[in-house]
Parts: sequence; structure tokens; C-alpha cells
Amino acid sequence: MPLLELKNLVVRYGEIEAVHGISIAVEPGEVVTLLGSNGAGKSTTLRAISGLVTPAAGDILFDGQSIAGLKPEEIVRRGIAHVPEGRRVFPGLSVKENIMLGASNRSGLSRRQIATEAEAMFDLFPDIRRFSGALGWTLSGGQQQMVAVARGLMAKPRLLLLDEPSLGLAPVIVQAVFAIIAEIRRRDTTVLLVEQNARMGLSVADRGYVLETGRLALSGTPDELWGNEEIRAAYLGGRTASAA
Amino acid sequence: MDLVLQLLFTGIGIGSVYALVALGFVLIFRATNVVNFAQGEFSMVAAFFMVMFSVKLGLPYWLAFIVSLIGMGVLGAVFNLAVYYPLRHRTYLPVIISTIGASILLANATLAIHGPEPEVLSGWFDTPGFLVGPVYLDSQYLLIIAVTALLVVLQYWFFEHTLLGKKLQATSQDKEMAALLGIPVALMIMVTFVYSAVIGGLAGILVAPVLFVSIHMGATIALKAFAATIIGGFGDVTGAIIGGLALGIIETFGAAYVSVPYKDGFAFLVLVAFLVFRPQGIFGERVAEKA
Repeated sequence: MPLLELKNLVVRYGEIEAVHGISIAVEPGEVVTLLGSNGAGKSTTLRAISGLVTPAAGDILFDGQSIAGLKPEEIVRRGIAHVPEGRRVFPGLSVKENIMLGASNRSGLSRRQIATEAEAMFDLFPDIRRFSGALGWTLSGGQQQMVAVARGLMAKPRLLLLDEPSLGLAPVIVQAVFAIIAEIRRRDTTVLLVEQNARMGLSVADRGYVLETGRLALSGTPDELWGNEEIRAAYLGGRTASAA
Repeated sequence: MDLVLQLLFTGIGIGSVYALVALGFVLIFRATNVVNFAQGEFSMVAAFFMVMFSVKLGLPYWLAFIVSLIGMGVLGAVFNLAVYYPLRHRTYLPVIISTIGASILLANATLAIHGPEPEVLSGWFDTPGFLVGPVYLDSQYLLIIAVTALLVVLQYWFFEHTLLGKKLQATSQDKEMAALLGIPVALMIMVTFVYSAVIGGLAGILVAPVLFVSIHMGATIALKAFAATIIGGFGDVTGAIIGGLALGIIETFGAAYVSVPYKDGFAFLVLVAFLVFRPQGIFGERVAEKA
């Protein structure tokens, strides 16, 4: 049984339909990437999964149970952590406090336990250890991305949703972020990764889906997607890679 | 010099009341991005609670005090559910109008239930005050300053050293992200309203023996507290406290050295000066950097 299954998911913002019925499955332990250009509906899909928007039609199954229309608080308690586009690090809280709050979905933990876990998170993200006490807004984009991912992992998610982790980052930082995604994958956390940077997305993924204006254009393994010349030119070409 | 010390004491005393009400403004503003125009009425209603429980029903002062604050907590919760919650997904304008409506309702409901005549509430202590050197320390002002100082320390500890405090801060900084982490946003906002109603009420009860208890006291206090938040820098907790104290001191000195009838005018003169020359307030730059 897939860990996550989208069945003919339709999402509307008022009059505008952003996602026109897509079906996707993510198996346990997989890293699946959702590719496509700006406005293809990738972020909207993630927002529907984590409960920030309510699907207009279709269903979202997590572990076989429908989670469509549940509140974000309830969905993260069931084990889906969403690291949204733009990092969304709390600007007025310190790095460590930001990371600690990632455990808000888990009950019965003492403040001390959470603090210990947050400290341990710095082993995975050594670059931000020395900013532990710094306020969120003082960090660079890459550092904020590290904090955002660490905060997401504090939820101990069974499924991690990552939205454009490479957006706006320098190439060397993008490499560091993807090294972390590869490490998360080794730890058997299932990941659904949204990327405009197809090259990076496919480099860590088991499978990929390509969205085009709210519809599923194609899917396959990285090699299959990479091998399709037409697709490569249209969606996965150097333009998007260099733009990110 | 003696007069200066005396005025400073009185100024800090009255400024503490403005600071408490200003804190209520700031906390609700940070949690909901909306100015609660009924914040002053919280002070007025609490003072009438106190009159009802202590004067009319004859409860001991301390018990009336506790019951009144519990009453304010309930009022804060009802206020959240009735005035803010139904409009939480709207823009700020409907919410502001809603709080203005609630303010009018609270003032007129009090008028309907109690009648227009002002009441006198005695202070907490039997001793009206005592002399320390040349300065006469009014016992009620001492209480106001002590309670405000204690509350500021407690609040600092709560926001800086508890997980709940951090969750409240996270909610005020980014509600959507807080929800994604599993923080119960609606509950956090409820806590904010209850706390703001209680500290607004506390300010009203503390200042009531110094002023008369009337249905108009809310509007006066709220205007001053609002000015205090502008001076301090809107949305900043430290700014609200400094702004409140500064306003109390300016007003007291203005009344003593310039003109008593224009006492209220000084507060607004300072407010206008800040709006023209430093609209972000004393601590405004830090807020701007955060955004």
C-alpha cells in the first residue's frame, strides 16, 4: 500500500482551478520528486496534502486513510511534515527555538527532551550549530533552509514534504541542501520533493512526476525522464536549472 | 527637586496603567494583526466588576479582585469567539469594525445595567500613603507600580523560557507556519485574548481608586495606551512598556509645569510629534528589520 496516494486531486483558489485532477502515489521509503515550471501546481499540491488548502474534489490517502480537508495541525500529528516554499523560519525566534517548535506535533515530550533532540539535529546540520542562539531573520537563505528542514525533521515525520528547497540559493548551497536530502533518504524517511531545478530533483529521487499547468504530463524513473529528449527540452532543460 | 521626584513617582504610577493596557494592545495585535479597539473597555468593565463584587455584594476586597479577574478571563474568551473568531479569515478591516462595535456594546451594556452615575472604589490598602523623605508615596500608586513590574518580569519569563510562550510568539509571527508545525493556532489566539482581557482588567481595577469608575474611563485609558504603543513602536512589547511610562511622566510634568486643563493634550502632542518625525516609534527599527 502506498504511504501517500492522491486520487484525482482538484484544488481551486476561488474561481481559478490550480490543480485539475492529478493522481500520484508515493511508496514507503521512496523519494519522489514533483517537477514542473512555475505555476504548474506543484506547491498547491503540497499545500493540499498538508491541509493548508481544502481539495475541491478527489481524495488524499495517507496510510490508507483519507486526510483530505483535515486541519494542518491534525495532518502533521499523523506524520506529514511540510517544509514550505520560502523557508518560513520564525524571524523573531532563535535557530534552536525554531527547531524545537518542530516537535509541536508530538505530545508527551518535556521541554528538556525536545531541547536535547534539537541539539542532536545540529549533528546533521553542523553549519548552523554556531547560529543556535541567533534570531531567524539574521540568517542567510541557505542557513534558513537548513533550519527549516531541521525543524521539519523534528516532527519525526513518516512523510516529509519539501517545497523548492533550492530556490534562491547559490549553487554551492544547493549542493549542501541536496546532500542533506540524500542523508534523510538514507534514514528511511519518505520524501515528496517539489523542484523547479529538475537536475537536482532527479539526482536524489527514485521516481519523478512532471506537472504541466495543473495536469500530470508524465512520470517515470529519473533515467526515463532524463532520457526523453522532448521532455528534457520542454520541462527539464537547462533553462530551469540555471534559473534556480 | 522634591517636586520633580514627586511628579516622577506619580508619572510612573499612571504610566504603568497605560503600559498594562498598551501590552494588551500589542499582544492582540501581534497575534491577530488587528488593533483591538475594545481594549480600553476591558479596563472599564473590570472596574465595574470590582464595584459590583466589592461595593454592592460586599465581598472581601481580595476575593472581589480575584473574581473580577476571572470574570475578565471569561469575557476575553467570549470576546475572541464572538468578535474575532468568525472573522479570522477576513482582512483586518471587518475585524477592526467588529472590535469597535464590541467597544460600543460593552460601554452601553454597562450603562444599561449600572446606570450613568460614576462610582468610587476604595484602594487595596487602608493607609492612603506615607512620606519617604520629601516624597509622598501614595499606596495605590505603589501597588500599581509593583504589580506592573511583577507582571513585566513574569511575562518576560513566560515568553522567553517556556515552550508555550515560544508557541505564542511563533503564532504571532507566522500563523500558517505555526499550524503546519502542529501548534494549535486557534487555542493560542484564545490564550492571547484571555490574557489581554485580564491585564487590561487588572489595569482598570488598579487605576479605579485613583480615578472615578465610569463608563467613559475605558476610552480615555485606551487613547493614552494607544499613544503609548505608537511611541514605543507598534507591536513591540518593550516599546509598549517604555511608551506607557514615558507618556505617564510627560503628562504629569506637563500638568505641573505648563497647564492642568491641557493635561490630556500633552499625550497627544507627543503622539502627533512621533507620527510626524518617527512614525516607527522608539523601537520601530527592530520590527522593520524582522519583517
